[in-house]
Amino acid sequence: MMVVDVIFYAFAAVTTLAAIGVVSSRNQVHSVLFLILTFFSTAALFVLLEAEFLAALLVMVYMGAVAVLFLFVVMMLDMDVSDLKAQAINHLPLGLAVGAVILLELVVVLSHSHAHVAAASTVPNTLAIGRTLYTQYLYPFELASLILLVALIGAVVLTLRERKKVMRRQVISQQIARTRSEAVELVQRKPGEGA
Amino acid sequence: MSKYLLIVLAPLFGSMIAGFFGRLLGNRLASLVTIAGMSVSALLAIITFFEIAVGNGDPVRQEVWSWIVSGEFRVSFGLLIDRLTAVMLIVVSGISTLIHIYSMGYMAEDPDQPRFFSYLSLFTFAMLMLVTGDSFLQLFFGWEGVGLASYLLIGFWFKKESACNAAIKAFLVNRVGDFGFALGIFTIYQVFHTLDYATVFRMAGTGQYPQTVDFLFWGPVHTMTLICLLLFIGAMGKSAQFILHTWLPDAMEGPTPVSALIHAATMVTAGVFMVCRASPLFELSETALTVVTVIGAITAFFAATVGLVQNDIKRVIAYSTCSQLGYMFFAAGVSAYSAAIFHLMTHAFFKALLFLSAGAVIHSMHHEQDMRKMGGLRKKIPITYTVMMIGTLALTGFPFLAGFYSKDAILEAAYAAHSTAGTFAWTLGMIGAVLTTFYSFRLIFMTFHGRPADHHSYDHAHESPWVMLGPLMVLAVGALFAGMLGESMTHLGWFKSAIFLAPGHDAMEHAHHVSAWVKWSPFLMFLIGLGMAWLLYVRMPELPGIIAGHYRATHRFLLNAWYFDRLYDRLFVQPAKLIGEGLWLTGDAKIVDGCVNGVANLCQRWAEQLRSLQTGYVYHYAFAMLIGVLVLMSLYT
Amino acid sequence: MAVQLPEMNLVLLSPEILLSLVAMGLLLMSAWSGKESRGLIGTMALSGIVLAAVVLAGLSSATPSATMGGHFIDDRLARAMKWLLLIATALPLLMSREYLNQHGLDSGEYYVLTITSLIGAMAMVSAGSFLLLYLGLELMSLSIYVLAAYQRDQLQSTEAGLKYFILGSLASGILLYGTSLVYGATGTTLFTAVANAIKTAEHVSPVLVLGAVLVIIGISFKVAAAPFHMWAPDVYEGAPTSVTAFIAVMPKVAAFTAFFRVLLEAFSALHVHWAPMLQLLAVLTLAVGSLGAIAQSNIKRLLAYSSIGHVGFLLIGLTTGSQLGHQSVVFYLANYIFMSVGAFCLVLVLNRQGIGDQISDYAGLAKKRPLLAFLMSMFMFSMAGIPPLAGFIAKLYVLMAAVKAGLLTLAVISVIFAAIGAFYYLRIVKIIYFDVAEQPFDMEVSLSHQIVLAISALIVLVVGIFPGKLLDWSLASVQSLL
Repeated sequence: MMVVDVIFYAFAAVTTLAAIGVVSSRNQVHSVLFLILTFFSTAALFVLLEAEFLAALLVMVYMGAVAVLFLFVVMMLDMDVSDLKAQAINHLPLGLAVGAVILLELVVVLSHSHAHVAAASTVPNTLAIGRTLYTQYLYPFELASLILLVALIGAVVLTLRERKKVMRRQVISQQIARTRSEAVELVQRKPGEGA
Repeated sequence: MSKYLLIVLAPLFGSMIAGFFGRLLGNRLASLVTIAGMSVSALLAIITFFEIAVGNGDPVRQEVWSWIVSGEFRVSFGLLIDRLTAVMLIVVSGISTLIHIYSMGYMAEDPDQPRFFSYLSLFTFAMLMLVTGDSFLQLFFGWEGVGLASYLLIGFWFKKESACNAAIKAFLVNRVGDFGFALGIFTIYQVFHTLDYATVFRMAGTGQYPQTVDFLFWGPVHTMTLICLLLFIGAMGKSAQFILHTWLPDAMEGPTPVSALIHAATMVTAGVFMVCRASPLFELSETALTVVTVIGAITAFFAATVGLVQNDIKRVIAYSTCSQLGYMFFAAGVSAYSAAIFHLMTHAFFKALLFLSAGAVIHSMHHEQDMRKMGGLRKKIPITYTVMMIGTLALTGFPFLAGFYSKDAILEAAYAAHSTAGTFAWTLGMIGAVLTTFYSFRLIFMTFHGRPADHHSYDHAHESPWVMLGPLMVLAVGALFAGMLGESMTHLGWFKSAIFLAPGHDAMEHAHHVSAWVKWSPFLMFLIGLGMAWLLYVRMPELPGIIAGHYRATHRFLLNAWYFDRLYDRLFVQPAKLIGEGLWLTGDAKIVDGCVNGVANLCQRWAEQLRSLQTGYVYHYAFAMLIGVLVLMSLYT
Repeated sequence: MAVQLPEMNLVLLSPEILLSLVAMGLLLMSAWSGKESRGLIGTMALSGIVLAAVVLAGLSSATPSATMGGHFIDDRLARAMKWLLLIATALPLLMSREYLNQHGLDSGEYYVLTITSLIGAMAMVSAGSFLLLYLGLELMSLSIYVLAAYQRDQLQSTEAGLKYFILGSLASGILLYGTSLVYGATGTTLFTAVANAIKTAEHVSPVLVLGAVLVIIGISFKVAAAPFHMWAPDVYEGAPTSVTAFIAVMPKVAAFTAFFRVLLEAFSALHVHWAPMLQLLAVLTLAVGSLGAIAQSNIKRLLAYSSIGHVGFLLIGLTTGSQLGHQSVVFYLANYIFMSVGAFCLVLVLNRQGIGDQISDYAGLAKKRPLLAFLMSMFMFSMAGIPPLAGFIAKLYVLMAAVKAGLLTLAVISVIFAAIGAFYYLRIVKIIYFDVAEQPFDMEVSLSHQIVLAISALIVLVVGIFPGKLLDWSLASVQSLL
């Protein structure tokens, strides 16, 4: 029990510190790297909860795909957020105060609660998820897929710029139907004047 | 469709036809359509009056239609025509018809006649709804309806900025009253669980209701006092009583026929009617009756003093109306409801007459309203002079004319009430009688006697067309004989079940047996007032100026109507503007003024500021949300 | 090990399924067809909605039932609200086609996103669990965020979309956090199971209450209740007018149904906790709605504040916790749809000829186009609650419910704010009738606008005079609650 507790607190501390690092580091690439660290330690926490499927999902999807994509974008775009940060510093005391009060309240409330321990299951949790996701939670699952579709459409609608299609296709009938007057024009030019 | 229903609906039909097809029909036809509607209504009202008031018909109760029927809740529209309603019907329909006819002449040159006649008929419809309703809800419906019509008609000449402002002012001041009125109706519903007159009055009479009730933040208060005072706040707004009177003089910005119909004869008397109709409730609260008496008396006196110095011919009559309404209220306050209604009826005749003749004077003087620029008109417009004289004599209580009977009845009742409030009202009423005579004859003398002040307009003054003089003559006949014919109204029990008197409230009975000096002192007051007016405005016309010079502060105090407008401006309008400005960082009070041009400029400026405000404020929004979360979390978990 | 499938009655979901198919079909169509068939896509989207309405009408009468593992609830309330949602989507879509065409916005995705948001809203109104509530809300919101930013060449529009998105995400986070707390306290997300857990627990845990508070805040954001309203004026103003008309009505219907489900099905035992909170929100919302509107010069911003004011009234109806109150909310929503759609339709009609969104642009409308002016005044009067129009009955019922529930103070406050609110509605009428005309107002009113205007005006008027039928309908739809 002790060992698990120590590991939990270690990873929890890493998660929190890394999250602070995401918002506080000067270099944006560092921020993204901190984000990856946050994901990773969260994945570790899932493992501790015996939710290895979620852990794997987090590592593969968030760290492997999303965060790396993010990293590329950040490296490609040269954003200057120092102004923004300077402004944020001005508001920091107020923000911290409000945050602290909210935190305090949450702690007070949550400390009164009785922890619900999830029933230990003999079924591997990947199987368990699969079983409930496609039966009990089929309807939410389908709806979630629709949300992803909308996100996709939204991204395309808001960012895709249609370019003029530069298509050179030979249409023989048009070529044949051309008349002389459409095709060439005779212009009188004196020598030396040019076009 | 029963004939009673047709009385109410005929003006509505006229209004709708004129309103929707006005352009198609043209000015002439549109006005004729509404007049036709009104005539039907008036004719049926007269028949009804003979059936119920002159004959001995029983009160009519009809359910017309069920409006909302859902679950246990039902609201139906019905008609209740007893003697009280019958009197009101004839006043409203009759005078409205005359004024429609008069308006054909008065508004002849206005391009928007269909709109005018449509509004005028719409108003009449709402007023008839108000008086024929059989529940407080319907009363409220009519109440709001006449308010709306009044707003539209005051602002009829919307190109005049002052008319726009007056319309908005009337609307806002009436809102204050309506707010109290609505609260009163809420409370009735909360206490009795119905708004039906018959049920409410029956339950009130037998005491089947909680004697005290919690009102907002106050602890237990006496139920009836609360209800009656709230209802009376509504009446104060509608009938321009002291404190909420400021809109009435400004409302004179509307066309004169409107002033005559709405702001003299009918709408402003709705408050008096309501108090009389709700007499079974008012009788149960001594406090409320005392308040009604005192406010009425103060208004009667206050408005009369202000009337003394006004120079605008319409404003004089407006303050006079205000004052006469005060008389009606204090009559109701001392439980002399019949006297109040009697005076309401006679007043409707002679005040409409006065307004319309003033309109005729204004018409003949090419829309000049300042009496200082008139004078000597007696020779140019003799018919107008004659009828206006009749109106004035009726108002001031010249023996055997309308006002003589009704005003005396009120004063005698106040005297006979033998209560502190009654005596207070009687004293102020007596002083008011002197003042009434004074300002009325001041008006006559300044307008018709003396030398013409402005020769140009004097030379062009002309008698009004017959379409205007005809209604004037009919009203003059009313002003001459309404008192004599209607006096029986004041006898005990004439109104039958329509008016309820609590035991011991017998001022009206005693009023018939007061000593002779009480009976004749109003006439004495008339003579004093007449004498003073003659002295100051015929005999020694330079004297008023000297007096005004000596008592400059008093004069200005009266001229500014006791500084009420300025007080309200300081108390309510300016702070409201400040709040508005505070709400919008660079808020410009101009927008509140409503009728200001250049709104477009202002908007542009705002739009730019808005745009500059928008960048980066998403932080602020998010922060506001978080604060909201914090507060709600702390409060409710 | 055998997999246990829950009972799935897909027939009950047929309107949603049909709409999903329509959305995807339209997406494919717009991908493969050229510009010239855009009109066709709009028509097909509309007919898809009509078809869904037909299917909805064809379902056998609603006995309250749950399916899909309890996530989908079918009852009178869900059916009624789906009707309102279909109307609140179809009418704005119908009236904005010219606008979209003119502003080059009528690509197929616009219609697809409109329909997906409708699907999300429909999922919300028949949600049986917090999970589904959240998913429906996200589907609806996400589509709307994109729609708000649809005019992507206009700074205002993209700004509106982004702002809505950021703040909406914050609100979603709060909602989700609340849900997780509720789950933590009760071990379930199903409404009925949550209600049972609360009933059987010996005392109410503070975690649960905190969760409930956060969930309510999350939904309050969607209805733009103060102090979570600040996005509304900016988004209403910035978004394309056709979208504004849509987001003014449709999400409100869905979110108020969500309130019904959450408050009355899951948290009915916590009435003492949430009622005062909603009352506070209602007062704040009324204040913001009526005072904020006074200084506005932009008609869209003004209508935003106006809608905030209406939300205040709706919240009052909700807090009463009585059947009359719930009836009044449904009735109010139904009327609000038509008043709001009518007003926005006129904004669209008048907007077409390059007249801006400023209120002053409407000066003197009555001189040139008396019928349009009359209609506008009618909608304004109805919103202000002046008899005999629908808005009056709606307000009357809310007030009656409040008075009957003993909330006299709240009723009085709402009347005060309604009176203040009447001022700015009246100001518009004044500008229309009394100010000097500067615009030519020579636009034509197209057939689709005529249809929408005729429907909304007729309903506002007829319901104002004969409200009985609609009241009965509202009553029937809330009878399964409580």
